[in-house]
Amino acid sequence: LCISGGLPQPTNITFLSINMRNILQWSPPEGLQGAEVTYTVQYFIYGQKKWLNKSECRNINRTCCDLSLETSDYEHQYYAKVKAIWERNCSKWAETGRFYPFLETQIGPPRVALTTDEKSISIVLTAPEKWKRNPEDSSISMQQIYSNLKYNVSIYNTKSNRTWSQYVTNHTLVLSWLEPDTLYCVRVESFVPGPPRLAQPSDKQCVHTLKDQASALKVKI
Amino acid sequence: GLRRCLISMDIHHIEEAFQEIKKTIQAKDPFQNVTILSTSETLHRIKPLDVCCMTKNLLAFYVDKVFKDHQELNPQILRKISSIANSFLYMQKALRQCQEQRQCHCRDEATNATRIIHSNYDQLEARSAAIKSLGELDVFLAWIDRNHQGTSA
Repeated sequence: LCISGGLPQPTNITFLSINMRNILQWSPPEGLQGAEVTYTVQYFIYGQKKWLNKSECRNINRTCCDLSLETSDYEHQYYAKVKAIWERNCSKWAETGRFYPFLETQIGPPRVALTTDEKSISIVLTAPEKWKRNPEDSSISMQQIYSNLKYNVSIYNTKSNRTWSQYVTNHTLVLSWLEPDTLYCVRVESFVPGPPRLAQPSDKQCVHTLKDQASALKVKI
Repeated sequence: GLRRCLISMDIHHIEEAFQEIKKTIQAKDPFQNVTILSTSETLHRIKPLDVCCMTKNLLAFYVDKVFKDHQELNPQILRKISSIANSFLYMQKALRQCQEQRQCHCRDEATNATRIIHSNYDQLEARSAAIKSLGELDVFLAWIDRNHQGTSA
């Protein structure tokens, strides 16, 4: 047992959620630098009866706790709370707002495959996967959860220094009428219409359109 | 289902309006152990055939009960709730046309689910029930969004 309220509360307690991987994170209480503070986490399923312990997040040193499994039913809503403990003192609980994974999780970038010829680039997109507990568990695509999942494809012509983007609903896109022998770079972001969500673009991928065979031939003749 | 009934209603501007007041509204709801829409027992069991009736019943629930019971002093929140209420009135009007064309039939499933929601509401004092129902608007809007894709932009 500890003296409640003897310590300031942890701050900035929020869920960081990407593809339904839901990590509770917080900042240490102010003014306790150097003290060996530990933390204990509990969570609550909105509409149910009581707060539940997360045994792996009892008396921990780190300032985060993976609650993905406990919040895996993304149709439900949740709360979480954390308190700081140091020696015989502990803080009051610091609590999140109501967390609704279905509406709040960030949709990670898709996998992007590029193939090219002289004047076009073919882009094939694979939707990101929902978090799963074990690697051998069957995969669920975020597309299955969000049937209206779209992609924002940004294309950058390194020669003309020009960038343009377009929204795509299906998984393949062919960029035509490009310049031969030019380096193009592509970034893609997943997007679900509805309440605003943070977005993570894919890593930049670049590909070179082929030399124009016709002009190459003329040079030979 | 409503797919044929809901005339191109853009849900996203309602979601955005709610998003701006959601944290404030939900923070005013002290009863975390009670829900009104109780999603798993009601909304998620609704079949496509009952979507129109369920939407009609829930719009009426919000317009005739929740917005009336809710008392709000903050003008910014009041403005957002009024804009949401007006959007709901527009959707009700659209559904009325469907009813006249007999495309919004109510079966027991939708009627029972609606009864559960009203019963949940009536177990709380009116103002608490109203604030809780407003705090669950994101659930209702997400359900509409999922069940009426193709009609909303």
